Amino acid sequence: MIVEVTQLTKTFGSFTAVNEVSFAIKEGEILGLLGPNGAGKTTTILMLLGLTTPTSGSIRIFNRGYDRDRETILAGINFCAPYISFPGRLSVYENLMVFARLYQVPRPGRKIMELLLRFGIEPLKNRPVLLLSSGENTRVALCKALLNNPRLLLLDEPTAFLDPQISGLVKRVLRELREEHGSTIIYTTHNMSDAEEMCSQMVFLSCGRIIARGTALEITQAILDAKRDKPALVEAFLHVAGSSK
Amino acid sequence: MNPRRIWAVIYRHGCEARRNLNRITDTVYWPVQNIIVWGFFTLYLSREHRLEPGVVSYLLGATMLWGMFYSFQRDLATGFMEELWSRNLVNLFSTPLKVSEYMTGLILLTLLKALLGLLLAVLIAWLCYAENLFPALAGFVPFLLILILFSLSIGLVITGLIIRFTTKIQTLAWSFAGLLMPLSCVYYPVTTLPGWLRPLAWGLPTMHAFEGMRDVMARDAFSSTHFEWGMTLNLVYFVFAVVFFRWMFGLAQSRGFLVRQE
Repeated sequence: MIVEVTQLTKTFGSFTAVNEVSFAIKEGEILGLLGPNGAGKTTTILMLLGLTTPTSGSIRIFNRGYDRDRETILAGINFCAPYISFPGRLSVYENLMVFARLYQVPRPGRKIMELLLRFGIEPLKNRPVLLLSSGENTRVALCKALLNNPRLLLLDEPTAFLDPQISGLVKRVLRELREEHGSTIIYTTHNMSDAEEMCSQMVFLSCGRIIARGTALEITQAILDAKRDKPALVEAFLHVAGSSK
Repeated sequence: MNPRRIWAVIYRHGCEARRNLNRITDTVYWPVQNIIVWGFFTLYLSREHRLEPGVVSYLLGATMLWGMFYSFQRDLATGFMEELWSRNLVNLFSTPLKVSEYMTGLILLTLLKALLGLLLAVLIAWLCYAENLFPALAGFVPFLLILILFSLSIGLVITGLIIRFTTKIQTLAWSFAGLLMPLSCVYYPVTTLPGWLRPLAWGLPTMHAFEGMRDVMARDAFSSTHFEWGMTLNLVYFVFAVVFFRWMFGLAQSRGFLVRQE
């Protein structure tokens, strides 16, 4: 297993953001982490990145723990989310160069150019990040996320600010990445058709707890009706979102 | 610590220093403006009030060293705040970068900027006011070291507080050094203070640095007492600052503040 999460819990005062969550991911799998706002997806991602300390439970990544092997784990992971950004005055290239050096990417200039071309933003390389649109920003963040050819990629709403054409490009690149490097991906999204298209396995969270897991059909059956024979993730999502309010 | 990751942090802040007008202003404009105003003031004092040349040099020297002390602790805190303002903190600390490596890179670049500002001020004093402070600089080095180490401790404590309490308290970066100035005896000897304040002043490495500097300029003598006091106090404050910073960072991690900083 690439990731093993056992009884993971995070509380902030009296509020429990993540409640005894357990799941495991095999190498090369794309796991969808689904759920309405406040379900605990982002807190789980931040704990997987070692940025938030769990209250209890354990996280094992590449069969290692953060207490002893933080550096080794993070060298093989990367991450992209819409709530992070880059220093606005630095150009796209300079920003990516900072991260290429942090990940100690060999021949960083070449790798950066390869990724800029792949995401169709090579003409923006000298532009300050401050002047980019949100969609362009997301593509820069995705370039950053692929700099170290991560074994594990954590994507929190990666297509949130993208138009359908660019969103399609991003999903294609992610699939290629999995094929080329065997990368494992954890993918959170509110877009249920994206989830169905991208994820082989899913975990559905609500109020910090796992309420369903499995394929799109299994999730649908667990949340809506065991007799369903076709996946209906949007309906399942609306059902959970409505009842969690 | 990994030197390549430290270099990445220097590169990141080096790019910012070149592109950001605020940082250029901090590095160049304020030290120059400060020395020009104080330069004219000391010219006036020396001509109208026939002050001894040593006093003029001393005032200019004190202005420059305090400027360096202030800018170092401010730039250390604002350097870190750049990450919060640009929402880059999560990006950085989701890489193998360690907090110690980040702070080392930031400290090295901040030190370079502070020394650049100091040299610029000394150069202007020399060119415009015929006050050659370059020979005295060698004698100042031990006391410069005291100032740098103390501003490093203050910068770490302020940065730790910002990590924990977020940018709500960012004004500390600009105002905290001002709190210490009266007791640091920058422009007057410690004997000027009322007796009950003197023990407090003795607890500040800055006071020892400026007293030591006065001895260098007035008597061309090195005060080992002030140097030893200053360094011992610095050691205590530095250990406290590092422990405090790590504690604040740990608290921010456990309470999820690293993501909710803005």
